[in-house]
Amino acid sequence: MTGPVIEAVGIARTFGSRGGVTEALRSVSLSVARGEFISIIGPSGCGKSTFLGIVGDLVEPTAGTIRVNGKTARQARLDRDYGIVFQTPVLYDWRTVIENVRLPLELAGRARGERQERPRALLRLVGLEGFRDHYPWQLSGGMQQRVSIARALALHPALLLMDEPFGALDEMTRDRLNLELLRIWSESSATALFVTHSIAEAVFLSTRVVVMSPRPGAIERIVPIDLPRPRTDKMRSDPRFFELITAVRESLREDAALAVGGGSA
Amino acid sequence: MVLAAIAAAWEGGKALFAIPSYQLPHLYEIGADFFRTGAGGEPWFLIMAVNAGYTALESVIGFALGSAIGLVLAVSFAHSRLLERGLLPWVVASQTVPVLAIAPMVVVWLGTSWFSKAVIAAYLTFFPVTVNMARGLRAVDADALALMRAMAATSRQIFLRLRFPSSLPYLFTALRISATASVIGAIVGELPVGSRFGMGVVIINAAQYYNWRPANLWAAILVSSLIGIAFYHAVALAERCTLTWRPSRAAL
Repeated sequence: MTGPVIEAVGIARTFGSRGGVTEALRSVSLSVARGEFISIIGPSGCGKSTFLGIVGDLVEPTAGTIRVNGKTARQARLDRDYGIVFQTPVLYDWRTVIENVRLPLELAGRARGERQERPRALLRLVGLEGFRDHYPWQLSGGMQQRVSIARALALHPALLLMDEPFGALDEMTRDRLNLELLRIWSESSATALFVTHSIAEAVFLSTRVVVMSPRPGAIERIVPIDLPRPRTDKMRSDPRFFELITAVRESLREDAALAVGGGSA
Repeated sequence: MVLAAIAAAWEGGKALFAIPSYQLPHLYEIGADFFRTGAGGEPWFLIMAVNAGYTALESVIGFALGSAIGLVLAVSFAHSRLLERGLLPWVVASQTVPVLAIAPMVVVWLGTSWFSKAVIAAYLTFFPVTVNMARGLRAVDADALALMRAMAATSRQIFLRLRFPSSLPYLFTALRISATASVIGAIVGELPVGSRFGMGVVIINAAQYYNWRPANLWAAILVSSLIGIAFYHAVALAERCTLTWRPSRAAL
């Protein structure tokens, strides 16, 4: 399948409530090619999670068009073209680890053989094979997120949507899981759309970093990351890494300054 | 230990306030009551056991019936807000009528067999189940629902694989309440004239002859509460066996 995995043009989203109308996204246009790892970073409330929701057909845009995997977002969702990971693992307590990973396969009505083998393979991939009969409460936060990632990959999706999946974890676990995620992602051949608050994480993981402006969200700048792959921990001390972080940070600062009213630098 | 404290308070209070035996029999008198001979020549504890058995059976059947009705109502309410708005007021109203007033009516309609008692037990059972289950079916995590949508699940799949399992803790809470309520329902059902078996009958007779044999009524009360306690613990055990994935052992 050629062509961009995500093609968003002029996406806007307004929320109405008792307090008034909130413009979450103003006009976001983005094209994501197959095999890319795109991070979206921006200040709180800039609409990055909303945009992810629109791509996943969990939120309706109030304007603009979006094509996912060459179809409407709704069709892509119904065809199960993507897997999603939220900030909380959202595992079902009454299912064991392996049963949680099996869930998408059950919902899609896959054959018994695949329902047995695929979760095992996925748990091996995320390094949790020994925990497959454990219950979620017996696992740490980082481990639960790994299960959540395994589940998202169950149906070999073309697209992986992640909404600050490591946000609730400590920095060391986060760094380790960043590497894990890159390894898993490279073995899965999915395209990734990753929302984050962490500049270092965005730069470390991505092919391009999309910097968003404060609410109403629009794309401020896109920073291409030219670090070689596979990424390693050593790169975190690379001068180029710091340059890129600075570039992203500066874009964010500009937005913040503009939002506050162009105050002191 | 609590039992010892209660026993001590009982006898202590009796001694301290000089409570006569017709108001508060000695504990040993209540115990002795189980071993006296009844009208037909059998030991009293056997008679009690038979009647307790009747009551227990009526409670269990009523409990099952009431739970089934409660479940059906809860699922329909979760499915259709319209149905809930329409039926809930009636459901609530049904519980405000004192069961003591309804019992004779039910016995008149359905006869004096075990069935009318089971119906009354069901009457007291279905309400907690309906209310708790309806809440449980609705109280699903927003992210868990979003996840189901993201996995393109049908409504039926969402119900079976998400709503129902996550409502089970709520269901069991209701079942614990209903366990004791169904015993009460069964006993109340046995009170109206015409019933021949069950703890309600024993209690009525014991109350009638209270002045001659006060210990009898206390013994009947003791047995009745034991039935309720046993039933409650049976439900608690069933919960532990079903909800094996629960990390904390909820005491209540």
